[in-house]
Amino acid sequence: MKFTVNWLKQYVDVNISSSELADRLTMAGLEVDGVEDIFTDLDGVKVARIVTVSSHPNADRLVVCKVDIGGKESQVVCGAPNARAGLMTAIALPGTTLSSGLAIKKSKIRGQLSEGMLCSEKDLGISEAHAGIMELDWLQESGQDLADALELKDTVIEVDLTPNRPDCTSLIGIGRETAVFCNTTIKHPVSVEELPTLTGEGCRFSVTVEDADCPRYAARLLKNVTIGPSPWWLQKRLLAVDLRPINNVVDITNFVMLEYGQPLHAFDFKKLGGGAIVVRKARQGETMTTLDGVERQLDPQMLMICDAQKPVAVAGVMGGGNSEVDEQTTEVLLESACFDPVSVRRTARNLNLGTDASYRFERGVDPQLAPRAMERAVRLLCELAGAEVEPNGIDFAEGVKNPEAVNLRVQRTNDLLGYDFSAAEISKMLTDIEIGVEQLDSDTLKVTPPSFRVDLEREVDIVEEVARLKGYNEFPHTMPLVPMSASLPDPARSLRKDVAAMMTSLGFNEAINYSFVTPKHFDMLGLDENDSQRQTVRLLNPLGEEQSVMRSMLLPGLLENVRRNVNYQSADIRLFEIGKCFHPVSDAEQPKEQTSLSVVMSGNRLPGAPVLHFGQEKGDFYDIRGVVETLLRELRICSICFDINPASAPKYCEPHTSMQLSTNDVNLGHCGKIGKAVLGNFGIKQDVYYLDIDMDILLSLTRESKKFVPLPKFPSVKWDIAVLVPERIGAGEIVQAIKDLGIDLVENAELFDIYRGETIGEGRKSVAVKVTYRSSECTLDDETVVKEHNKILDMILTRFEGQLREE
Amino acid sequence: MEEELLRLQKAAHEDLAALSEIKELEPFRVKYLGRKSEFTSLMRQLGSVPKEDRPRLGKLANEIKVDLEEKFSARKSELEQSAAGPSDSLESDLTLPGRAIPFGKLHPVTQIMEEICSIFEGMGFGVAEGPDVETDFYNFEALNIPKHHPARDMHDTFYINESLLLRTHTSPMQARIMENQEPPLRMIAPGKVYRCDSDITHTPMFHQVEGFLVDKKVSFADLRGILGVFISKMFDENTAMRARPSFFPFTEPSAEIDIACVMCGGKGCRVCKHTGWLEILGAGMIDPEVFKQVGYDPEVYSGFAFGLGVERIAMLKYGINDIRLYYENDLRFLSQF
Repeated sequence: MKFTVNWLKQYVDVNISSSELADRLTMAGLEVDGVEDIFTDLDGVKVARIVTVSSHPNADRLVVCKVDIGGKESQVVCGAPNARAGLMTAIALPGTTLSSGLAIKKSKIRGQLSEGMLCSEKDLGISEAHAGIMELDWLQESGQDLADALELKDTVIEVDLTPNRPDCTSLIGIGRETAVFCNTTIKHPVSVEELPTLTGEGCRFSVTVEDADCPRYAARLLKNVTIGPSPWWLQKRLLAVDLRPINNVVDITNFVMLEYGQPLHAFDFKKLGGGAIVVRKARQGETMTTLDGVERQLDPQMLMICDAQKPVAVAGVMGGGNSEVDEQTTEVLLESACFDPVSVRRTARNLNLGTDASYRFERGVDPQLAPRAMERAVRLLCELAGAEVEPNGIDFAEGVKNPEAVNLRVQRTNDLLGYDFSAAEISKMLTDIEIGVEQLDSDTLKVTPPSFRVDLEREVDIVEEVARLKGYNEFPHTMPLVPMSASLPDPARSLRKDVAAMMTSLGFNEAINYSFVTPKHFDMLGLDENDSQRQTVRLLNPLGEEQSVMRSMLLPGLLENVRRNVNYQSADIRLFEIGKCFHPVSDAEQPKEQTSLSVVMSGNRLPGAPVLHFGQEKGDFYDIRGVVETLLRELRICSICFDINPASAPKYCEPHTSMQLSTNDVNLGHCGKIGKAVLGNFGIKQDVYYLDIDMDILLSLTRESKKFVPLPKFPSVKWDIAVLVPERIGAGEIVQAIKDLGIDLVENAELFDIYRGETIGEGRKSVAVKVTYRSSECTLDDETVVKEHNKILDMILTRFEGQLREE
Repeated sequence: MEEELLRLQKAAHEDLAALSEIKELEPFRVKYLGRKSEFTSLMRQLGSVPKEDRPRLGKLANEIKVDLEEKFSARKSELEQSAAGPSDSLESDLTLPGRAIPFGKLHPVTQIMEEICSIFEGMGFGVAEGPDVETDFYNFEALNIPKHHPARDMHDTFYINESLLLRTHTSPMQARIMENQEPPLRMIAPGKVYRCDSDITHTPMFHQVEGFLVDKKVSFADLRGILGVFISKMFDENTAMRARPSFFPFTEPSAEIDIACVMCGGKGCRVCKHTGWLEILGAGMIDPEVFKQVGYDPEVYSGFAFGLGVERIAMLKYGINDIRLYYENDLRFLSQF
């Protein structure tokens, strides 16, 4: 809702500055979004009278004007078609810079001196009108500042209205609030006492309301209407709030809507078939072209204003082209009505058509407003369009309900607000804003809201009003007295926090990507047509195809992040994201929301660590495997198997550099190296390693409890084994096999060297393992160790086709 | 004897100070502390001084000896240290960087969200999370926003179908929790929310933290008290706050809470649009309609609720000036926090 301060002053004596006004409105719950002084830059623009006009000797389309500016004569070259002797117009003098940025200078135009520029409304930023220079025929004196002559300088205030305050969609409404803090009262353009009684008798038209969605419908007929432009004062008001002046009749309906908050509609009476107004629901299959030229399909839920045969307006939304006021109109039927908010809202939604009228109706227009706004508009039409109003009119008001009184308990109010109001204090505040108050007993006030406050229906609504009128910041700060309680732990949240902390310790930065992604990701990953990841939850109204499905996996988002970072010269990347993935269950149910951890790693092993010490080695598979091992170890999860099976590797990774993490046939996740083709699809030219873990499964795994093991009393013995095995044997398998032997004395077995070379021969490698032996009962002697060591050697030699390495 | 001892000490001090190279150390030691030094011979003569002087002179001689030994050894290490110039060893150039291994960083949104949560957890609030894909019922109906309510205009909603949508706020958690638990309740609910709105000041996904407290006789003044504590902990102890009337269908009275602009301290600047105030959260007393939906008697219980925008608070705390940076995951951005 926009208004100007000068306009507001027509109704209320604003005795505070514009900025204070804005502040007080904000604190009253009418949040001011902007305050703008307008036409502050027109100092060099004056009113001028054209004295003579002569043709330009060197240009056919230009004329040379002698103008009088308060007794001083100047010469201006002008190209406007309406430049004529005697015309009062606007001149921008040399030195002025117009709002368009055009700087006016004294110059010669095709050899003729020009001391300024005669301006159109558009030149001055007043309106879009640019057909000719301004015509100010009602002005007498030249030489004065244009801004003063037209009273242009003003302050525009824009209020961001909440849906509960439809009463403030008008100057009168804003004025009513302003009057409270300016300690004054509002001046209505039309007082209730002046309203005529409309009985419908002798009317040349009829009104039939067939639907309960129209509680009130008032109409009057005006004849001898002369359509023409509105006077400047009216146009100025509309222009200041971004409404385009059209003609006097339309401008008056708009002006009164802004003034009172009551949308009005003017029909060309001669276009109404049968001189009838019928308010009814649309019939199946009916159509109507609205004023914006669009043909609308109507449905039987939509409330329409019709004549004897056809719809002529969408009730509360927009008029029809078939009954539009035009230049030939002489008889106007003026409508001032009230429609059900839900009905208007549904219709506006279904037609995808929001208007100033529907904005007000769907929030709730005061049903008592119709006759007042009608009378105001009738008077303006008589004054500004030469109309004569037919003495009687129709005011159907059978659907109007009076606001119901509610009981307000003083103690309840104080309990809810944490304050100590007296009944008298509350009464005074409410009465100030036209709320009726009657004290029933010491604790109870019977409160009757005015009809324009459609938001006040319940006791708690009045409590809010009390708080608002007192001022929210007048209430103390207290701490609630609540019994002690311990909240339930949330293991999923703790796990997420633990994992995130570990990931950052490992040098990974946390990413957060949008939950909605492009379905193209699945093609970019090379997933099969029937891959389960392609089952996604689709948005009905996405912002674009790029964000049209809820993600079913995190990896693609992170790959996009890798590309972006590489493109911005951050090529050493360690990123992780913990977030939800969405998997459809059925149409009716909420999808399964599963939390995942995804990790990507690319470029240098230790980004950000000093190259001098750590070199520039690229990270590889063992780095990402190390992340998995660290996470599992720190979470004390021991049940995970690392399965290497290239055949079952995900489509997007290099099958021979991929590993599945599983336990008892439950798939916890996988890690590996992203395939070249996939990287190409994502526009990445460097290797990327990834890890994916299903956090929900991770949460379900048993974590070893912390249990103290006594420190060893006896020293350990470390013996090395070096064996030659075929290349296809995994060195890790050998270590695992040693541990799996379950020899009590074996405390640990660790790989310490893998060697390939000529001395060994092709197809084989040397694997060196350090075995730590320890007894809890004695210091080990060689004899005992040899026995166990030989068991291990035998196992390796037989099971892995091993061969002892000749030293 | 005494004079000679003191003279010797003085001479030794002077010589020691004049030493400038390590190779001069040994001759000095021989001269003053060696077996054949003048000092040693003086010590030997102690036996021949009068008996009554002996203890005093012996003590003095000993003190001088200790003094010279200490001074010599200090000077020795001084000279040795200054002599240790650059060498090939890495450890000799201490201007080199340390072997610092950088940690990664949590996303600024996560950091702020955790900070918010821990402030409320410190006041005894529990934490709960709910679904991102929410039903129309919990997102709107249960919060007193029926189908054709104009308040739906305040939420540009992404829909999945007729009855499912992406939650537009974390407030559905109020209804979900109250439905299953009895008062007294103190909960916060952090999470992602979605609005189909994308421009320079809006991203279609952002984060909120919802909070509410329900018990008997909870008041608007209590709401002010709790939020006052939050603001003083989140920002600065002396950060001014103000409440303004606003409208949310699920609270009555409803308020918007502003804090004094953290950029200009309330004087007025571009960030606060020259008002001196920054809006940081919406709040209010839980509407009786919401209580009725979950089966609480509004005559018995009252409570307040509030919702915080995490990105907004991160912007204010860290001075981030472009909301779009949050979801580009640019390392140059992420590594700053």
